[in-house]
Amino acid sequence: MPALESLFPRDEFGLLGLIIALPLLGAIVNGIWGRRLGRSAVSAMALTVMGLAFALSLVTVCHLHSLFTESLHGGGGAGHGERVRLAWTAWEWFHTTGGRSGANIPIDLKFSVDQLSGIMMLVITGIGFLIHLYSTAYMAEDASYARFFAYLNLFITAMLVLVLGDNLVVLFIGWEGVGLCSYLLIGFWFGKAENAAAGRKAFLANRIGDFGLLIGMFLLAQYTGALDWDGIARNAHLLLSPSPAARVHVWPVGGGIYQGMWAFLQPANVVTISGATAVSLALFLGCTGKSAQLPLYVWLPDAMAGPTPVSALIHAATMVTAGVYLVCRLSFVFVLSPFTMTVIAVVGALTALFAATIALVQNDVKKVLAYSTVSQLGFMFLGVGVGAFTAGFFHVFTHAFFKACLFLGAGSVIHSMHAHIHDDAASQDMRNMGGLRKYMPVTFATFAISTLAIIGTPFTSGFFSKDEILFKAFTNHVVHPMKDKFAQRGLGVWEQPTWVGPALYVVGVLAATMTAFYMCRALYLTFFGDFKGWAIGEPSAAKTHADHDHADHGHGHGGPAPAPHESPWQMTLPLVVLAFGALFGGWLNAAPLHIEPLGHWLDPVFAQAVSQGVQIVGGEEHAHHLVWPLAAGGVAAFAIGSAIAYWMYIASNGAPAKALAERNKKLHQLALEKWRVDEFYGVAVVGVAEATAETCAAIDHGIVDGLFAKATSSVVAAAGFVLRALHTGIFHAYSAAMVVGLAGFGWFFIAPHAEASVNQAGGSYAIHAAPGMGYSFRWDADGDGKFDSERFGPTRDLSVSVEPGKTKQVRLEVKNAFGLTGSTTITLGTEAKKGAAVVGLR
Amino acid sequence: MSAHAHTSDETAGDVTARPGAFVVGIHEIATTALAVVAIALLGHYADSAWIPAGIAAMLAFAAVHAFDRQTRLTVGAMGGLAALFVVKMWPTAHALAAGEPFVESPTVLSWLVALPLGGAVLMLFMPRQAHGLLKNLTLAIMGLTFAASLPLLSATMGAGYHFDQNVAWVPQFGIRYHVAIDGVSLWLVLLTTFSVPLATYVSYGSIKHRLKDWVFSLLLLEAGMIGAFISFDLFLFYVFWELMLVPMYVIIGVWGGQDRIRAAIKFFLYTMFGSVLMLAAILYMAYAYGQVAGVPSFDYFELQRLVLPRSTQVWLWAAFALSFLIKVPMWPFHTWLPDAHTEAPTAGSMILAAVMLKLGTYGYMRFCLGLFPEASIEWGINLAAVAVCGGILYAALCAWQQTDLKRLVAYSSVAHLGYVMLGTFSMTPSGLEGAVLQMVNHGMSTGALFLLVGVLYDRRHTRELADFGGIASKMPIYATMFVIATMASVGLPGTNGFIGEFMVITGTNASLRLGHFAGIQAIGAALGVVLGALYMLTAVQKVFLGPVTKKENEGLADMNSREIIGIAPMIAMIFVVGLAPNLLLQSISGATTRIIRDVNERIDASPPPEFHRGEPKLLNRRPEAPVLPVAPVGTGTPGAPVRAEIRG
Repeated sequence: MPALESLFPRDEFGLLGLIIALPLLGAIVNGIWGRRLGRSAVSAMALTVMGLAFALSLVTVCHLHSLFTESLHGGGGAGHGERVRLAWTAWEWFHTTGGRSGANIPIDLKFSVDQLSGIMMLVITGIGFLIHLYSTAYMAEDASYARFFAYLNLFITAMLVLVLGDNLVVLFIGWEGVGLCSYLLIGFWFGKAENAAAGRKAFLANRIGDFGLLIGMFLLAQYTGALDWDGIARNAHLLLSPSPAARVHVWPVGGGIYQGMWAFLQPANVVTISGATAVSLALFLGCTGKSAQLPLYVWLPDAMAGPTPVSALIHAATMVTAGVYLVCRLSFVFVLSPFTMTVIAVVGALTALFAATIALVQNDVKKVLAYSTVSQLGFMFLGVGVGAFTAGFFHVFTHAFFKACLFLGAGSVIHSMHAHIHDDAASQDMRNMGGLRKYMPVTFATFAISTLAIIGTPFTSGFFSKDEILFKAFTNHVVHPMKDKFAQRGLGVWEQPTWVGPALYVVGVLAATMTAFYMCRALYLTFFGDFKGWAIGEPSAAKTHADHDHADHGHGHGGPAPAPHESPWQMTLPLVVLAFGALFGGWLNAAPLHIEPLGHWLDPVFAQAVSQGVQIVGGEEHAHHLVWPLAAGGVAAFAIGSAIAYWMYIASNGAPAKALAERNKKLHQLALEKWRVDEFYGVAVVGVAEATAETCAAIDHGIVDGLFAKATSSVVAAAGFVLRALHTGIFHAYSAAMVVGLAGFGWFFIAPHAEASVNQAGGSYAIHAAPGMGYSFRWDADGDGKFDSERFGPTRDLSVSVEPGKTKQVRLEVKNAFGLTGSTTITLGTEAKKGAAVVGLR
Repeated sequence: MSAHAHTSDETAGDVTARPGAFVVGIHEIATTALAVVAIALLGHYADSAWIPAGIAAMLAFAAVHAFDRQTRLTVGAMGGLAALFVVKMWPTAHALAAGEPFVESPTVLSWLVALPLGGAVLMLFMPRQAHGLLKNLTLAIMGLTFAASLPLLSATMGAGYHFDQNVAWVPQFGIRYHVAIDGVSLWLVLLTTFSVPLATYVSYGSIKHRLKDWVFSLLLLEAGMIGAFISFDLFLFYVFWELMLVPMYVIIGVWGGQDRIRAAIKFFLYTMFGSVLMLAAILYMAYAYGQVAGVPSFDYFELQRLVLPRSTQVWLWAAFALSFLIKVPMWPFHTWLPDAHTEAPTAGSMILAAVMLKLGTYGYMRFCLGLFPEASIEWGINLAAVAVCGGILYAALCAWQQTDLKRLVAYSSVAHLGYVMLGTFSMTPSGLEGAVLQMVNHGMSTGALFLLVGVLYDRRHTRELADFGGIASKMPIYATMFVIATMASVGLPGTNGFIGEFMVITGTNASLRLGHFAGIQAIGAALGVVLGALYMLTAVQKVFLGPVTKKENEGLADMNSREIIGIAPMIAMIFVVGLAPNLLLQSISGATTRIIRDVNERIDASPPPEFHRGEPKLLNRRPEAPVLPVAPVGTGTPGAPVRAEIRG
């Protein structure tokens, strides 16, 4: 595309600015003027900017592709393309201090797109557009229509900033920006207290993660002296500097030494970790917040309080995958620490399993999907944690389609349920649904396709992406990139145990089995069997839609109502498109079949990381033979999970499930209550924080403001009390004090005071005797012990010169008006050693 | 009350009942702002800044044609000033080339003090009953002061001092009228001239009695604050430092809340306590200088030459630092602040938070670091720990526990200023720049928050969090503004708060002066970001979200024209600084680099803890110091005492 290239050179690719500015424009216009513009104008605005942004993203990625192909065929590529990158600097933002020598690190408002962020950009704008379209119908009745689209557009802007940012700080704008939008959208219906609480919880959990990201940033600034991707990549090796001073001292904190009374704290061996481990762990803390991993996942299920399109866009397809994106983006930093990589993989696998156990028993369709999202994110982290960045990221891509489709499908169902059941919780309860496939065929079909994809039905998108992760979990081994160098210096490194890979595989398969079960369960409960929501029939004339109680409990009104209806085309069209993607998207990276266009596309991005620290157990050849045997595990998970669900909910119509729940009542209850983790956090984290805060507030009130301030004022009061006692008003006391005072003065005047000040200039000194009433002076200037003149005279000033390196003693005697004499000796001279003047007085 | 005094707030208040009509809303403000910015940007190509400013003023005046004259004039004036600001901030190469080379006027700083000071005197001769006259005249004077401060932006700051004016005042004691600014004080002066008129304008909605005294106090306060920022003679500094204390005392004591007298006395005693110690230290400094140089001097640049032995320096440093740290305020001297803020009227709180507290941080940066580098470095390590534990973390936790919204914001001020102090103690370029930026940021975001709390207080006469709930549905504009200010306060990237906090945190981590505690202190500071979100969002949730539970809150009116006009510039600045902090940083960094270099040179000359031993001595004048009108005395060379004092 030469025209495009001439218009936008690689380093000034202004199109990126336009792609970001368009949704921002939509947000501003809809946010400020939206209420005056009216609904149709608002939706036109929002859809136009999104459509344009998507089109421009498409153009950008096509351009990127042509550059990539060029590099593929160009010289030196050797079959592998390069990482191609289009960048645009908006302006110089600010700068900070870092690096070893305290250098200046410029932080520009710079955006860039490469293979990785290109895909993300397409997903964000593409799925974003579909969800905007969907929302025009879903939110049609809402009073705050313009506000909704302003927030949604703002979210897209922030998300684009997140993925397009060329340095960690610009990424952080987007990172926190999406957090803000998530906060605003979760609490979109802020009239209900629990929605507002859910929003706050999300923001705070994310903030804890952001705390980690902040730490990661300043550590990166310190170690690599850069915060932009290229700079970090260039200096990443500094993170592994083996010298003890360049490591992060965990204990004693910062590398001090505990002495004296604290000596017992001093350990025999100081505890240090490499800069790479510190940075990557801190960054990963950020990822656990944003991507809802253990231990910070608790906000995501609550976040379903927001409107369903928000759940689909933010809390399934885009924002929550930001953590995975960050790990992929900084893959070259993460692989430097096998420890962190193992932590990521283990956390991912455990989250996948843990969230799946909760999803097994939930009755709220959105809750099932929420926990499913947490679980799937766990899979993604499992993938990137074992160094399979392409596989992990591919799961981000496929997940975006099928999970968005599932959420939108659920939204479509809730939309039609909500027409007659106005209680939010009840309208989302799967026990009130059933048999909807008759009434909502399109929704059913798309939901079913997406379910097939997520449970890993062979040759759907989920099958390819999930199996690739499980395969890599088994075969990959992350090794320390500088193991040999460290060994030469006699330094040990942490190594990943060999059993980790197979263990991760087993946990993954277990989680996949559960996924198959709970997703099929959701599908069967919602769309199969009989409809349980309300009696279907003609509504009675007395009970029209308008006059029934909106704050109605569970099941709406008793009378019959029309059957649930299919949603309008604005809602079904996105479903169809997404289902198409869910079904066929896997062929972009069908690794077992060696169809890997996406893999090749992304390879250059991950090349640095993979070549450094990822080994394949038993070699490539050996692993190759394991592809299909290991895939069997995934297929078995799909088959077993869905078969059990079929047996429980279709063949036996839910009876075995009820029996099982009856038999393990407490366990079922515990799982239903999400293992009571929220309650545990409430006591262990929030409770402790609250207690600390209460203590602080009490100290502030009682001690700082009470005791300290009172103590100070009471000192003043006490002084006043004492001084007041002196002011008795008794004349005798006053005159006695006066006599004592006058006597003191008298003594001072009578006693002679021989004092002098000395000024030095070069080797000569000017001595100046202090004057007094009736004083006369005599001097011994030459230091021979005799006074120059026996007579006291009026001469107060004396000049003396001293040869360098020698000292001289000058004597002064004074006589006052009462004939009393006093004397002093002054030593003048220079100290040869320092060459500085020394003036002494004896 | 004369008919004239029926200004827009009453009018606007009357018509809020009619929804959508006759309240200057966000729509008008945004439309006008866009137009003004567009004109100003076009104005780049004009040779004079006054043409676009004039057009913008007329346009803004016309844009709100449906409103009364008072509102239109205000909006017009603000439009003009905004355009002027934009033109000064972003001069194009064309405009720079077309204009004559910039000549620094030595009197411009004096005008900045003289205008409000003269205005205050003028107010004494105005009729007490003519409210409209008092209000408009005061605003005009303050607007003029702001306009007069804009030329300061035209100077290239670098590491030097500018707009220097140095006139003998009391020659026999070495007291001079010496004013100047550098990259640090430039922004604080502008912050003052920017936020005082806004606070004043907003206050007209709620201050109904003793108006003459009110405007007199505000003008005097403005003069005092500007004076303190520009003084480079310690005596003059002290005069202004105390001058601003009195009006603030009166403002809290006369127009404050229920417990105003106690709060005013507490405020006065705390700050006075520090001040008198500082006075003693100033006098000693001048005396010690006189001992060495022959004649006493209060001049900052001369006193900077004075090297004192450790024993003396630490005490002098302590006296200065105590005064400044009480003003900041830092733990454990902070308890006057929540009381003063809670009881002060809205405008008082705004000025107190936006400007007055900065005098503490500014003073520390200018005088403690400048005059006592060795002592500052020796003690800075310990104080950094206080800034983190006592300021950033402790104050944030306290804020979380407050039930009074204004107290909460006051405690958040303590936490925010903890960042400023931490950045100052870190002695890294980024830390110090971040500290200066954070001073300005805190002025914007906390000033805005206090204004917003005042809006609520005016309507309900309570600030208890429990008395509200769900009012976002009743006051959508208000809620939006509050959330924006909240996000700036919690340091969301894209707003100003983030830049300052980020620079301070990275600067702290990179600090060598803080020793091996730098890392853990940076982590503590980062943790403060989480706590900030915790208390602010808790407050937002309790006040704005959820259902409307109290009947009194059902009929709450949204922000009126006056309040919206008052807060709009601050909200705009939150984003301007957040997105283009380099505008400020490029003139700050020269000065902060100089501060660090000055300190480092002194330290390196005699490394701690063995810093200067022996008798006081004079160094050479710093290279950036302005040229003296008279030749400096005692041109001593470093390392050799010029004159020794004899004790015996």
